[in-house]
Amino acid sequence: MALLEVDKVSKRFGGLLALNGVSFAVEKGGILGIIGPNGAGKTTLFGVISGFIRPSSGDVHFDGVRITGISPDKLTRRGLVRSFQIVQTFADMTALDVVTTAALTRRPIREATDYAADVLTRVGLGKKLDETPATLSLQDKKLLELAKCVATDPQCILLDEVMAGLTMAETEAPIGIIRELNRQGVTFVMVEHVIPVIMRLATSMVVINFGEKIAEAAPEEIVKDSKVVEAYFGEHLDA
Amino acid sequence: MIKDDFFKTLASPWLWGIVLLGAMLPMVLSSYYTHILTIALVYVALASAWNIVGGMSGQISLAHSLFIGTGAMLSAALLVKLGINMWAGLVIAAATAGLLGAIIAWIDFRFQLGHLSFVLITLAFAEMASIVVEGWDFLGGASGLLLPQDTGNFLDFQFGGGRGAFWVMLGLATIIVLVNVAILNSPLGYYLRTIRDNEKAAQAIGVNVLRQKTTAMVISAVLTSIVGTAYVRYLTFADPYLLASPVITIEIVLFATVGGLGRAYGPALGALLLVPLGEVLRGKLGGAVPGLHYFIYGIVVIVVILATPSGLLPLFERLFWRRSRMLPKI
Ligand SMILES: Nc1ncnc2c1ncn2[C@@H]1O[C@H](COP(=O)(O)OP(=O)(O)O)[C@@H](O)[C@H]1O
Ligand SMILES: [Mg+2]
Repeated sequence: MALLEVDKVSKRFGGLLALNGVSFAVEKGGILGIIGPNGAGKTTLFGVISGFIRPSSGDVHFDGVRITGISPDKLTRRGLVRSFQIVQTFADMTALDVVTTAALTRRPIREATDYAADVLTRVGLGKKLDETPATLSLQDKKLLELAKCVATDPQCILLDEVMAGLTMAETEAPIGIIRELNRQGVTFVMVEHVIPVIMRLATSMVVINFGEKIAEAAPEEIVKDSKVVEAYFGEHLDA
Repeated sequence: MIKDDFFKTLASPWLWGIVLLGAMLPMVLSSYYTHILTIALVYVALASAWNIVGGMSGQISLAHSLFIGTGAMLSAALLVKLGINMWAGLVIAAATAGLLGAIIAWIDFRFQLGHLSFVLITLAFAEMASIVVEGWDFLGGASGLLLPQDTGNFLDFQFGGGRGAFWVMLGLATIIVLVNVAILNSPLGYYLRTIRDNEKAAQAIGVNVLRQKTTAMVISAVLTSIVGTAYVRYLTFADPYLLASPVITIEIVLFATVGGLGRAYGPALGALLLVPLGEVLRGKLGGAVPGLHYFIYGIVVIVVILATPSGLLPLFERLFWRRSRMLPKI
């Protein structure tokens, strides 16, 4: 059964149709990769799924329940959590404090701090627990986005370009944690520009261009699709 | 529910040593200095109660004179006009203040007020409250209400003035500071600080913004109202220009900011330093050059804020605390 279903979702910002009737489903335990050029509507799509943006039309179902219009915090407590492409900063709290708050979603405070430290260590921020997120490097802020999601003990995580800007070596820790969680049954939807990473992880792929889904296929098939090649890969195909 | 750090604080010999030493001060001080310290403790309690909203969730509320006024004027009116026992008045006023706090939190959420709009709306609430108090005879109108003499009858919420009032304020201030420690070591503290730092990110990690802000505002309003009731009992005269005017909130914000916003002991430190300083300056200089004490006071405040923008507590910590590690880190 599909864990997450997006049904003909459209979103209009004034004159701009940022999403135009996008539909897809993600199976429980799957990893869906979403790719598409800048401005295609991927982040807007995550905003709609996670409850931050109300769609102009269409519906989202999670775990068999219609969730359109439900607030983001409620969705997180139900097990659907997102990261932000624009990394979020915190003026005063430490990385450990922030991830502890995330861990409080499902854990008592006595466990939350230890669990948060454990999650931060697993994503590769074990030495930066007491730093304020504002002072972290962009890469570390991306890892913190992942850690916040993981600490809420979700069923499904929406990751918006968390690997962007990481070197291949630096992607190993996040890839490892994504695989490990996926083995434990966590479903992922990932927007990623780093094609080799998404090819390694995804079980299926959706391509979005100008707010529309233009292709959906297995990762190895998608690169052969001519529309995709035209819209997205262009001259990068052989890179 | 609460992290062990809170229980370590509760068991700290430092805490109880300081409170016990403080409790002995009225035995050795003149009634004038006991009075100054009592007022300082009122502001420790008020600034610490305000800190739950203004410091932890970062909402600069100017509505707190409304809660002080509710605690003071309403309980006084219930006693003077209707003969209702002041203990009952304290509870009724605190419940009313809590309800008003919940309404303000709801308006803030419903209309998605930004920081500046929140400040202005809460100020408008405070202004309205002072107009209501001054215009409504039941609450004493512009001339205020005179409470019956404090004969020390505990069952009538009387503590015998002077020393008794000092001990009551010391107890209240201690409890409210400990409430701060408890909140900072419990989920509410994490939620509020996350909301303060980044509301959108807080929502994304599961924080119910309306519920947590409302909880903070209600706790803060109830505690503030209780202090208001105890304060008016000490003053014996319910003066609307003191107890229901927004000026008192400005003082609270000032003390909390100078001491260290959002920290459990910060607002207490600010009030303990600035209230006696203000009183002593007024006593020594007030007669000589009119207004000079305000001027010096203002300079001290400006220097402190410029020198240590996050308040005196972080500065003190850097100087001694972390090294001794006797007090738990908050
Ligand atoms: N809040 C908004 N208001 C107006 N336009 C927006 C808003 N958010 C996104 N857009 C526009 O919608 C389009 C899709 O943006 P986005 O979803 O961020 O794309 P992607 O994540 O695929 O790069 C872009 O043209 C962007 O400028
Ligand atoms: Mg994007």
